[in-house]
Amino acid sequence: MTELLQGNRACVQAAIASGCRFFAGYPITPSSEIAESMARLLPEAGGVFMQMEDEMASLGAVLGASLAGSPAMTATSGPGFSLMQEHIGYAALAEIPCVVVDVMRGGPSTGLPTRPSQGDVMQARWGTHGDHPVVALAPASVSEIYELTSLAFALSERLRLPALVLYDEVVGHLREPVDPGSLRLSRAERRRPTVEPAAYRPYAPDADLVPPLADFGTGYRFHVTGLTHDEAGRPTEEPAVVGALHRRLQEKVARARDDVVSFAGIGLEDAEVVVVAYGIAARAAERAVTDARSRGERLGLFRPRTLWPFPDVELRAVAERAHTIVVAEMNLGQMLLEVERVVAGRARVEACLRADGTPLTPEDVAHAVASAAGALA
Amino acid sequence: MGARSGSVLVVGVGGQGVVLSSAVAADAARRCGFDVKQSEVHGMSQRGGVVTSHLRYGDAVRSPLIAAGEADAIVALEWSEALRALPALRPGGTLIVSVERILPPSAFLDRLHGAVRYPPIAVGLLRGTVPDVRACDATAVAARAGDRRAMNTVLLGVLSRVTPFSEPAWDDAIAANVPPKALAANRAAFAAGRDLQPDDARPALARVEPSDEGGPARRSAASLEIVDAWCKGETCAICVRSCPEYCLGFDPDAIAVRVTRADACTACGLCELLCPDFAIVVHPAVPA
Amino acid sequence: MSGIEYRDRLRRQMLPHILCPGCGHGIVLKALLRAARSLELDWDRTVFVAGIGCSSRLVGYIDGCTLHTTHGRALTFATGMKLARPELTVIVITGDGDGLAIGGNHLIHAARRDVDLTCLLLNNETYGMTGGQAAPTAEPGAISTTTPRGARERSFDACALAVAAGASFVARGATSLPLELDALIARGIAHRGFSFLEIASDCPEYFGRYNELGRGPEMLQLQRRRLDGVDRTLAAKRSLRPRPAEGPPPLRTGVLHERPA
Ligand SMILES: Cc1ncc(C[n+]2csc(CCOP(=O)(O)OP(=O)(O)O)c2C)c(N)n1
Ligand code: SF4
Ligand code: SF4
Ligand code: SF4
Ligand SMILES: [Mg+2]
Repeated sequence: MTELLQGNRACVQAAIASGCRFFAGYPITPSSEIAESMARLLPEAGGVFMQMEDEMASLGAVLGASLAGSPAMTATSGPGFSLMQEHIGYAALAEIPCVVVDVMRGGPSTGLPTRPSQGDVMQARWGTHGDHPVVALAPASVSEIYELTSLAFALSERLRLPALVLYDEVVGHLREPVDPGSLRLSRAERRRPTVEPAAYRPYAPDADLVPPLADFGTGYRFHVTGLTHDEAGRPTEEPAVVGALHRRLQEKVARARDDVVSFAGIGLEDAEVVVVAYGIAARAAERAVTDARSRGERLGLFRPRTLWPFPDVELRAVAERAHTIVVAEMNLGQMLLEVERVVAGRARVEACLRADGTPLTPEDVAHAVASAAGALA
Repeated sequence: MGARSGSVLVVGVGGQGVVLSSAVAADAARRCGFDVKQSEVHGMSQRGGVVTSHLRYGDAVRSPLIAAGEADAIVALEWSEALRALPALRPGGTLIVSVERILPPSAFLDRLHGAVRYPPIAVGLLRGTVPDVRACDATAVAARAGDRRAMNTVLLGVLSRVTPFSEPAWDDAIAANVPPKALAANRAAFAAGRDLQPDDARPALARVEPSDEGGPARRSAASLEIVDAWCKGETCAICVRSCPEYCLGFDPDAIAVRVTRADACTACGLCELLCPDFAIVVHPAVPA
Repeated sequence: MSGIEYRDRLRRQMLPHILCPGCGHGIVLKALLRAARSLELDWDRTVFVAGIGCSSRLVGYIDGCTLHTTHGRALTFATGMKLARPELTVIVITGDGDGLAIGGNHLIHAARRDVDLTCLLLNNETYGMTGGQAAPTAEPGAISTTTPRGARERSFDACALAVAAGASFVARGATSLPLELDALIARGIAHRGFSFLEIASDCPEYFGRYNELGRGPEMLQLQRRRLDGVDRTLAAKRSLRPRPAEGPPPLRTGVLHERPA
């Protein structure tokens, strides 16, 4: 049945429908509605809601709950996302499934608490120290918040990693008519060990390079640490073991890439100029592109749904055909760097940026496209 | 050495003064007009955390690290660290080593299966691979010079015989780097080290110890079970110093506690309770 | 002695542990294992959670479900775990730096929530793991690498803090009173609600060395001098260091506060 659903609320409903049974968070605009809805809905679903003393505590509690067997998530915004970085790194190395939703607002620092931005996309990739793969999804609508939150749970459990969902204040607060029943729910399934407890090695991977994870308190005794460890979970500095662990962490995501990476496109088959945009900026871009196409202009839209891993092969193929790529985003040029890296000279890359606390408009995009075309002419 | 460039590797365990020694040598080099690079690698901070300092000097030094087989001299403040560092020494290089025995975790880990695997202090045997070994009990020499803690400076005195740095440069470097209240003792320690004839020191101090017993980890005496592999020896000494009956002592060679007065033990259990390393268990005798 | 079954709870292949010779933390680990044995805890329903520090390293040696988290945040992981699975017994090991400095806020709130956790805070008045810097528990005058002229700030009274914040069980134990320590830990675990135990432990490697207090045995003896109750077995026969002219104030051990959760 169709209902008028707010983005943040869709996030909560999707999480619970996907099996989330633990939420811990700390209030912050513009993500607070997620915590507030969780406080109401999660206990009804047999789950636990906790308001913690800060964001480090929130993600810490989420990781504790996850190790005890509960699919778990937290939600925050810029300042809180900064504080969570240490535990995101911990979850990546200790391979603990969890979902972190970042409803982006203007930054840095307290910045623009109630205003949209897309300024956290590089922090999502590189925010914690050290190397680790990142899975970050970027929904652009209420229904996509629903589907991608659900997908984040599925990926975090399947790949044993923190899965990030990034959207901005506007999508978070947007109300759109959706029918949750018609939307795609992904199954979040944790692979538990099949061996006897005595034979269990918490970091010995299966063929897909992901190790099964036992719940604490079920007879499996093992050690989880943020120190670099061997397959038995014991801390080690052995270069061969350390190197192998890091390679496996990268590889487990690389192998699942085709199930992770996704994008949407408009007119990519004939577009000469392609706009790359994600999240709310993609909605403005979509408008500009469809308008232009109705006028017969060969404009296209490439909209990554996964920011990380970035749909690089896919964009490269597009760049082979188009002569210009326009990156439209609400920051001072973050994914622009990634697009330039991926396109690597195959097409010209132009920027359409806005970082003033207001959403990018279709006119911004149209204007940028026009000036790119003008520059070419 | 004595050439216009050289590399010195200083090794030891945390708290022994590796970094200070290396800094003094670097300072002496600088005072003699050399370009110097000194860098250090720390292990875990716990006692036994291994500390290694690389010192390179010359007219112009680019890479700060000494590659394998490149060190002109190794200054080892501890015996087992000397052995671990040996691959860094170039053929014909000089090994300056104190026959000090501080157990780094590596040595404990090697003892896991019961046999004491701490390498025997056998200077004579080392001679075969490293002709120029200058071994001494630096702590004893330093103690005679006034402060046992200046053992690292004793070794610098020995080193000063193989480096091209002038004596005044060494002295100024020591004065500039050592705390004032310890200066006199360090000067004396340096002089003692410089005057040490390696051959004086070696025969008295070098011991060859049998260590291939490979026996069980547990030795039972009276009602005590002692796990040699876990005991951290004299540096801990909690049980020895806490036993109300003075029943315990050290086997100087086994690096572990032994019951020395079995008949006096009351099986009070204190040694077990206070041993931080799970190395003692008291089995009360079953009444006959 | 009351049995040695506690040794079955060790990851023997991980021993000897990394702690320095004479480090007090090992004494606490043994007391904890003995207490756990005496309570006959279901080992498959018991979880040990720690932060970062020498003290926090202890969990790695326990053959159970062990979670070595980030610096200061152990209580947050423990809170989430306990709430997600209330049937678990969750025991937290933290240090004075871990639990009172970087993790102080989490400690306050864990006490306020009075969630059924047991928290052992091993107080050695220093940051052992990082090489002996000043901890918030360092007494005024204490020498450390970051207070080379002696600490000037006031030190924390961790137990008073826990009481004020709402913990329903607060006790202080000491490594020099090992039997009392067993009993206190056991009571703390048995208590329903947030149990906080501050345990005086020693860092001979740094705190002892910098403050010229000797190594393990001497520090244990000094510790005993500070306690109002003295373990008789220990007290009698050893010659003690001369009492320092002015030492830190006496420490009271035992259960300091208890109320139904
Ligand atoms: C965020 C962060 N900051 C700093 C550190 C470095 N660090 C590791 S342990 C430690 C102090 C530990 O002190 P304490 O909790 O008292 O434990 P102890 O080693 O004394 O037992 C510090 C500062 C860290 N690991 N993480
Ligand atoms: S049991 Fe008591 S008397 Fe016997 S060795 Fe141990 S401390 Fe000494
Ligand atoms: S207390 Fe334990 S570790 Fe220390 S010396 Fe005695 S047996 Fe060895
Ligand atoms: S540094 Fe201090 S606290 Fe850490 S293991 Fe050594 S003695 Fe213990
Ligand atoms: Mg401490």
